[in-house]
Amino acid sequence: MSRQLTFNIFRFNPEDPNSEPHTDTFVLEETPSLTLFIALNKIREEQDPSLMFDFACRMAICGSCGMVVNGRPGLACKTLTTELPDEITLMPLPVFRLVGDLSVDTGTWFRQTNTKIESWIHDDQEFDPTAVEERMENDLANSIFELERCIECGCCVASCGTANMREDFVGAFALNRISRFIMDPRDKRKDPEYFEVVGTDQGIFGCMGLLACEDVCPRELPLQDQLGILRRKMAFVGLKNIFKPKEKGRQRRF
Amino acid sequence: MSSSVDTAIFVKPPTMVSAYLDWLQMLTGAGLILFMWSHMVLVASVNLGANVMNTIAHFFEATYMAQVGGPIIAATMLVHFVLAARKIPYTSEAQGVIWRHARMLHHTDTWLWLIQALTAMVILIMGSVHIWTVLTNLPITAAKSAARVQGGFWGVFYLILLPMVELHVGIGFYRIAVKWGFIKRSGRKKFHRFENIWTGVFILIGLITIIRLWTLPI
Repeated sequence: MSRQLTFNIFRFNPEDPNSEPHTDTFVLEETPSLTLFIALNKIREEQDPSLMFDFACRMAICGSCGMVVNGRPGLACKTLTTELPDEITLMPLPVFRLVGDLSVDTGTWFRQTNTKIESWIHDDQEFDPTAVEERMENDLANSIFELERCIECGCCVASCGTANMREDFVGAFALNRISRFIMDPRDKRKDPEYFEVVGTDQGIFGCMGLLACEDVCPRELPLQDQLGILRRKMAFVGLKNIFKPKEKGRQRRF
Repeated sequence: MSSSVDTAIFVKPPTMVSAYLDWLQMLTGAGLILFMWSHMVLVASVNLGANVMNTIAHFFEATYMAQVGGPIIAATMLVHFVLAARKIPYTSEAQGVIWRHARMLHHTDTWLWLIQALTAMVILIMGSVHIWTVLTNLPITAAKSAARVQGGFWGVFYLILLPMVELHVGIGFYRIAVKWGFIKRSGRKKFHRFENIWTGVFILIGLITIIRLWTLPI
């Protein structure tokens, strides 16, 4: 006898002036290998066609189905109902703009944050499309790729106490992202330039080390380790600055 | 003639203040952690006999470490409070956000931060009261400490302050280690367990010491 699952789903359509935030309850019979993504599609097909939620790839690659599952941000497509109790509460990710029900606009936030931290390779050389690509050590390429696996689902941001309290905090996503550029020899930025974008209270020094990002990341990115490395690195940039002799014509940065 | 308008305020120069303050917050925290643990061990010397505690107390007063160190510790505590309080939300709106967030998330480390923030307020007041009482009533002797605890009010006072301090210090120790990357992902679980036990041991030593002072014949 399979379980009867009760879904409590947050409902609100900001576009509709008559819509009030509330919870709707749906009951669904559990089937083998049922994921939240399949369950939501079933509910939409069989019970309520107006239910809004996002998905695209259904294999934890696109990062669009992030939502709060029984209090924890996670991917609907990667969450099996067998991991959950009979009663499942689904809420949209906080921090991001609500599109409706479980659907949030993560794109605008990520675009803004990527711009803020200048999330691209900084190189003053003219790009030659015909040239052979520069070679990189395999180990280095692998360690860059390890951080590159981020799918921008927003779970780390939604689970972050600081990001929830302070709108301008860039979150583990951006700090992990900048770590990836620091590793990359093609990026010609030096430590002080990285410091300018993340050596602030909106960046690494705003992080309080609650490590919810580390604990919820669906891609299991090494966020704890990267944040630690970045904090030490940026802290030492600051420390070195104290002992640096004053350059002519350039103000010391305090 | 020079303009009276400071145009520089419109262009924010790059600043390293955040880094300095983060260093200072961590270092004052680490310093206070070491102090609190040493303090506990020194006070617990009363369990070995009133004379042991008196001798140690006398050493710290004869060398003026208590008279000079005491106010320095108080000042460090205040600096640490101001620095760390930058992270605590001041508006009731933001306080509501972090409270609901913690309740939603069911996440130990997030709750631990709330405990840190709450115990900080208690320690700021009770710690200051304790420092004042002790430093204005030198020399420290086992008999005087025992008399204070046996008065009743101070006994309860220390029964509250003890777990507050040990929790705050223990969590802070764990937090510094994971935040600054001294403890990696692979070691976090084990380290957290160690921190829990370590804190438990210090609370236990503290309780035994309070009981000893309560029962010490004056």
